[in-house]
Amino acid sequence: MSQRTERRGIHVDQSDLLCKKGCGYYGNAAWQGLCSKCWREEYQRVRQKQIQDDWALAEKLQREEEAAYASSHGAQTHPQSAAPAPQPQGAPGHASLGPFSKFEEKKTNEKTRKVTTVKKFFSPSSRTAPKKETQEGKTPSPSISRHASFDTDQVSKDFVEFLKNLQKPGREIHKQCRTFIMNMSSKKDLGADELSECVQDFYQNMADRLMSHFKGSSESVEQVMDQVEKYIMSRLYKSVFCPETTDDEKKDLATQKRIRALHWVTIQMLCVSMDEEIPEVSENVVKAITDIIEIDSKRVPRDKLRCITSCSKNIFSAIRITKNEPASADDFLPALIYIVLKANPPRLQSNIQYITRFCNPSRLMTGEDGYYFTNLCCAAAFIEKLDAQSLNLSPEEFERYMSGQASPRFNSSEVDWPQTGPAPGVAPANPVLAQLNHNLELLSGLSSRQETLMEAAQSLQADLLSWPEGVQREVQDILEKYPLEILPRTASAIDANNIDNDNLPPPLTPQVFAG
Amino acid sequence: MSAMRVDAKVVMLGKESVGKTSLVERYVHHRFLVGPYQNTIGAAFVAKPIQVGEKVITLGIWDTAGSERYEAMSRIYYRGARAAIVCYDLTDSSSFQRARFWVKELQNCEEHCKIYLCGTKNDLVEADRSIRQIDYHDAQDFAEEIGAQHFETSSKTGNNVDDLFQKVAEDYNSTAFQYMTAEETGVDLGQKKDSYFYSCCHNN
Repeated sequence: MSQRTERRGIHVDQSDLLCKKGCGYYGNAAWQGLCSKCWREEYQRVRQKQIQDDWALAEKLQREEEAAYASSHGAQTHPQSAAPAPQPQGAPGHASLGPFSKFEEKKTNEKTRKVTTVKKFFSPSSRTAPKKETQEGKTPSPSISRHASFDTDQVSKDFVEFLKNLQKPGREIHKQCRTFIMNMSSKKDLGADELSECVQDFYQNMADRLMSHFKGSSESVEQVMDQVEKYIMSRLYKSVFCPETTDDEKKDLATQKRIRALHWVTIQMLCVSMDEEIPEVSENVVKAITDIIEIDSKRVPRDKLRCITSCSKNIFSAIRITKNEPASADDFLPALIYIVLKANPPRLQSNIQYITRFCNPSRLMTGEDGYYFTNLCCAAAFIEKLDAQSLNLSPEEFERYMSGQASPRFNSSEVDWPQTGPAPGVAPANPVLAQLNHNLELLSGLSSRQETLMEAAQSLQADLLSWPEGVQREVQDILEKYPLEILPRTASAIDANNIDNDNLPPPLTPQVFAG
Repeated sequence: MSAMRVDAKVVMLGKESVGKTSLVERYVHHRFLVGPYQNTIGAAFVAKPIQVGEKVITLGIWDTAGSERYEAMSRIYYRGARAAIVCYDLTDSSSFQRARFWVKELQNCEEHCKIYLCGTKNDLVEADRSIRQIDYHDAQDFAEEIGAQHFETSSKTGNNVDDLFQKVAEDYNSTAFQYMTAEETGVDLGQKKDSYFYSCCHNN
């Protein structure tokens, strides 16, 4: 997305717009500054190299194992009975990416880009991840695909390393997994349920074989199965997560919208025993929210489950700190619902479907992870069906809140804190609301002060206006009181009045001294 | 604890505040909840290994939210459960009605799930007989009618609690054994697909 905003920037040099390979076409920031054709070639090259690397790695392992096998069996040479499957030149999936009329291609690409951009503008949220996904499918951005290929590389390496310890069966397992992935890539058109069935059958077969091999040691079977799941699912993730054949994406958007519409639901309505006023609790809540959002970033079902489990553990600690006793299911489920509402995790339905379809069922059905996952499913189902009754509200209230005409104030008396805990009568719904109300109070205080200030200013102005009038009037009054009398002027010489003239000594006469 | 593998899923059902959590708490930690304690973070899921004969069977005990507002979702919880402990409060007749409801649900949706009927808070009844609202024989009759085991427990004194879970584990063990032998002789139970995941209690 950042790339797109860059594209819209103003400071663009004409030369920057052209393809970096210098073919004369315009380049695109999303394709590392290449034009669609050059980028495709580049991308194909990287992919091809990765595929070859994978094969090389696999073959190396096979050779190593064969050598080990041969040496352990002395002269008893094996005519390559388990010959590696003939290597197809590139997986079938990439054939569709092959070159066809470049001009036409460019046009369609341009079109899809435009459409998605427009959709982006109109989509209500920045988190419409599924759309991004489909766009990726068409024009995978190099940075992402490179990152992903690095990931899968790492997974392959780990898998190979792990299987090395198993010696001969390891090779067998690796071969089967590889064949299975190849088969799956040719079955892309199947519906999600069929794909799920394929994967589950594969797990089942693999588990049965391992069971007989390990003579029923279920721990070892479990261990291998985990690795197999990790390897297979990180390879298949792109093609089977939220596939186009299902309406998962639609459901995701519906859920997202639904959760957004339910933003007003408070912790009291759900009877959650978490007190977010306690700093430790709110810290746990934040962690739980992070975990649940994290689910979407993982590829392997088991990693996704781990996120759910870690989220649940955080919720449990939050409840324990609030209640001072371990949480039961009666506390946990509402709290999880609250967390889901607060987090609005991206692609929630897709992720649930993906885990249900492709996770190893033994984990999903019985274990601890399974328990938390089941709770998450419940939470999602609850949110979908949530109505006035499930929040102990009247239908009218529910309608008003949903339509945004009213919002539940923290001091609504009918919801009371279910806990005997530290609720001081009217506990604020949550810190944000409390803050909001506090701010409102401050604002109203300010506005009243402002009013008095304005009044004072106006009276000052009036005073100022009336002051000169007052002064003028006073002056007038005084003037009237003491009218100006003009006395007749008597002309007189300065010395005219000097009567005692004679008593004065005679004026000094200058004396001249000789000298 | 998450690494512990679990053989069978046991789900606790019952109306709010009949004492599902206390029952699990008593069984797993041998204590009754009075005042705060710190060791566990949650009692909603517990994996508990149980000695049955020569084997160890790990039960994954799932606590559920009993509030009526989550009733619609309860089916998600007991999916794939091998046993359900349906609890009711001996001093609360409405809780027994709810228990009947769950039994019907289970019979409709989970035919492989064994049902255990459990009357809780027996200590209260023993202290004062007049507050008992569910007659022992009525409950016993109902249990026989649905083919379930019936227990009356007290989480406060621990009475009958261990017996209940021991019975669950033993029953699971014997049915799992049946599954396996059935599989070996090639009888198709229409359950073949789930065989590994359901019958994995081998000698650990």
